[in-house]
Amino acid sequence: MEYLKTLRNNNVIYSGTRNTKYNQQTISDFSIRFVFSGNEKYSIGKRQLSIHSDSFLILNKGTQYSSVAESAIPVQSFGISFDDKFLQDFKNSWQLKDDTLLNINKYPYSGRYENEFDETIYPFKGDLFFNINHLKYHLDRGLQDELLINEYLHHCLINYFKIFNEEIFQKAQRLNFLNRSTKIEILRRLNLAKEYLYTNYNNNIHLEELAEYACLSVTHLLRTFKQAFHATPHQFLVQIRLQRAMDLLKNTDYPVNEIVNMIGFDCPSSFIRLFRDRFKTTPLKYRQSF
Amino acid sequence: MKIKYIPIFTDDLEKQVNFFTENLGFEIHGKKNILPGQESILLKTNNPDVFMVVMKDTAYEYRKNRIVLNTDDCLNDYHALKKMIGIKFFNEPQYLPMGLGAEFSDPAGNRYLLIEERSYI
Repeated sequence: MEYLKTLRNNNVIYSGTRNTKYNQQTISDFSIRFVFSGNEKYSIGKRQLSIHSDSFLILNKGTQYSSVAESAIPVQSFGISFDDKFLQDFKNSWQLKDDTLLNINKYPYSGRYENEFDETIYPFKGDLFFNINHLKYHLDRGLQDELLINEYLHHCLINYFKIFNEEIFQKAQRLNFLNRSTKIEILRRLNLAKEYLYTNYNNNIHLEELAEYACLSVTHLLRTFKQAFHATPHQFLVQIRLQRAMDLLKNTDYPVNEIVNMIGFDCPSSFIRLFRDRFKTTPLKYRQSF
Repeated sequence: MKIKYIPIFTDDLEKQVNFFTENLGFEIHGKKNILPGQESILLKTNNPDVFMVVMKDTAYEYRKNRIVLNTDDCLNDYHALKKMIGIKFFNEPQYLPMGLGAEFSDPAGNRYLLIEERSYI
């Protein structure tokens, strides 16, 4: 279903199928981009950010980007652009609360660094996943009530900032550096590594190339990545691959052996073992459950 | 042994039953006298063996209930009940360990937690 809905408060919601390359564009408002099937690759400067149905991307106002639909199946894209005033009202209302997610004193990296760190790939999970799916469900069926739509959008921002805190602030807190600027610089480089893994998950990634992309030595990358993500880059990569395998098993008819190759595993038996360890079921049983 | 009736006490039977049927979408099953001298109306629940029993009782203020109602979309139902019907909620929808919930009361002062259970695996 294709629609571009501009609300009276200038929030904009887009839903549609993308199957081409989109040339350089400039983001007019803070935006969240999702895909519900297939995958879409965004280029921002030298960075390549690929989003699948298990992840989403934040784009800041003024960012220049181009995007291309990458998968064999059509890309079901869904995006929300938040009007400046709506976003600022939301931030103000949350900053007034004691237990706010945006509390500047509680989270020393907010404000000044927020704009730099938020423009990255995040896992599409938790309450954001439920609320976006509900919103899309209603919009696909012609929902016109802007009060309700804005209620969903307000909650999307609550949910996004919760994920932002988990993925950025909490990871920064875990880094064992006393110097604040060192912490921030390491976090910036680890984010590059994370994006690289999300985007190139189906390739054979060597630690050396990952470290080079993140501008860290291999030892430094391994040590700090583990501190921030509670997993090695390899474990993190395996989790992405397994998540994507789940998506392919659920939404396509590709044979398991083909999926193994598509997600970057060499060996079907190790894939099945890892899948069973992670999800307590086999790939075939998981597929048959739908 | 199993749960059969969930009593709701009120001083205004008609008003209370209307609240359930017109606002919350419950259906009337019939009338039954469960306790002597107490007029009661049975309302269907999603379990065919379990009924809500709305009873008239002048001491209803001392017999208030708390009931958890399930929804598959809390924001949508919150919006419909609050904005369209005018039910007063104690709070905006809040994130709880089991999902998203919001609390409201009926004319007799019973409290209802409208909860959308979410599996965060």
